[in-house]
Amino acid sequence: MRVEYINPFVEAAYNIMTEVLQADVERKDLYLKKTTQPVMGVAALVGLAGDVEGRVLIDMSQDTAIKIASTMNGEKLTGLDELAKATITELANMITAQAVTKLFDLGFKFDLTPPSIITGENMSVSNANVEALIVPLEMPQGLVEINVAIRERA
Amino acid sequence: MKHVSLKETKNLKDQTRIDFKMVTFTLAGKDYGIDIMKVKEISKASKFTFVPNAAPFVKGVYNLRGDIISVIDMRIFFNLEAEEAEGNTENMIILRLDSHVLSVIVDSIDKVIGISSETIQPPHPLFGDINIKYISGVVENEGRLYVILDVERILGDEEQVDGRTVESISASSISSAAPLSVQESTVSTTGNAVKEDVDIGFIEETLITFLSFYSSPVNQEWIRSRFSAWKKQKGEDVQLANVQDAEAYLSPFASPFSGSYWNSDFAEKAASFLPADHTGNFYIWNPGCESGYESYSVACLVKNRLPDVHLRIIAHDNDLIRISTAPGLVVNQASLGSLYDNFLTEGSRGKQFKKEIKDAILFEYHDITHDNTLPKLDMVVMRDTVSYIVPDRQQHIFNTLEEVMKPGGLLILGTHEQPINPGAWEKVENSGVVAYKKK
Repeated sequence: MRVEYINPFVEAAYNIMTEVLQADVERKDLYLKKTTQPVMGVAALVGLAGDVEGRVLIDMSQDTAIKIASTMNGEKLTGLDELAKATITELANMITAQAVTKLFDLGFKFDLTPPSIITGENMSVSNANVEALIVPLEMPQGLVEINVAIRERA
Repeated sequence: MKHVSLKETKNLKDQTRIDFKMVTFTLAGKDYGIDIMKVKEISKASKFTFVPNAAPFVKGVYNLRGDIISVIDMRIFFNLEAEEAEGNTENMIILRLDSHVLSVIVDSIDKVIGISSETIQPPHPLFGDINIKYISGVVENEGRLYVILDVERILGDEEQVDGRTVESISASSISSAAPLSVQESTVSTTGNAVKEDVDIGFIEETLITFLSFYSSPVNQEWIRSRFSAWKKQKGEDVQLANVQDAEAYLSPFASPFSGSYWNSDFAEKAASFLPADHTGNFYIWNPGCESGYESYSVACLVKNRLPDVHLRIIAHDNDLIRISTAPGLVVNQASLGSLYDNFLTEGSRGKQFKKEIKDAILFEYHDITHDNTLPKLDMVVMRDTVSYIVPDRQQHIFNTLEEVMKPGGLLILGTHEQPINPGAWEKVENSGVVAYKKK
């Protein structure tokens, strides 16, 4: 993945998380994963197009998702209901949008697709021939991984 | 452009600290280890001089380059089945104990393993085959369980062991008591060759442990020639005991200008391999680019030689910190040489490469042991990089190269590296600088 893309995503994810949760967010070391990766349980997906092709996946466990949605809504949610799902979707949208804005300032043009959310057990995601950059963020609600796979359009 | 720079040992510190190394071997199919500090050397030999009236586990005495040492058969000592070695040549570990040197026979010698002493666990009282008082611990490594023997306790002087007086088998008493017969044991020439193989094998293992440098057909020739020089320098004590030793061993491996700007002379020689006329796209892959110095050098030398091509360099590294600085690299040196003068410009933050050079290079954070998606390549610059990758991925990378490189495409490896499949490449040379053209 192009070096210039990395920082905008890391910064956007960190800023948005800190802002919406009003909590201490700790960024762990970034790393690369091969093409097929397991997904923790709740995955919000935003597609990217333009100069590049790829997608951003915001990945967390169901428990973490409920806790984050509860904090963001200011009320205690008990399950992953419609409201919780909509909240996580919005979170993915905010992170990706801010990253894309930062990238535009650097001279890269990206378009976004509307976010979608996928939930389930034992899931994995694969992208043909693209490795993913993982940005792990640790917060009181649990671990959230920002999983970015982008490649240059050939 | 190494994945692990010799000067950089911070990565090693992140790993579990290796502070205990052992030589591993098998006895009756089970794995054992002996502290490497107790091991003098490894040898193969046969025809030991029999000593009358000695305990059954004493195989005899053996002449180790003039020193008479006693030979103990570990298997008989521990009441294990002693299988007859092939061609009667036994595997021996020669131990240097506090008081004397002696030799033990084992079934087969495996390798040197580095572990953290914190992971050594005390022996369980129910260990069957070997009496617990001879075991200093048990450790797991890569799925295998090793019993670490306390050789000082088993074979050290003045220890009453199981009713057998080990003192009676110490070298001094035997050398005076046993007249050497015509059967005097000698290490055959093949024995020496085997010993050298084992020594190199140990060094190869150590280089993996300390510097994740992997021996393979890419660099084996160099490792062997380096071993002779190392042996001359170090004498008998060839083993690499720590990171510093490993770095010293590997220090001549680095190619000229590895991980830095190439000087004009070197770049000129490399450029001489380029085709004289080429138009259109010119694709270059530069895996292991670190902070990008070599990528910029390659960009300048190609642009200098072939000004009209549409140049594209794909530069990869898996060290995020290093590669992060590459796209906006600032040149601190007063002058890099005449080659670079035309390609530099004063920017707001200092001297930088011109836009045409910067735009030609795509720096990507990428692990080349994963899948590599590449266009058809005209040139690959991969110096001192594959040697730091596990051998089956090295093979994979060379397969990829043979697939994606255009015929006549140019491959530049480290000075001490060569392609895995030499049949697929034609070697070209210009006063010391070597490259390979794809057939």
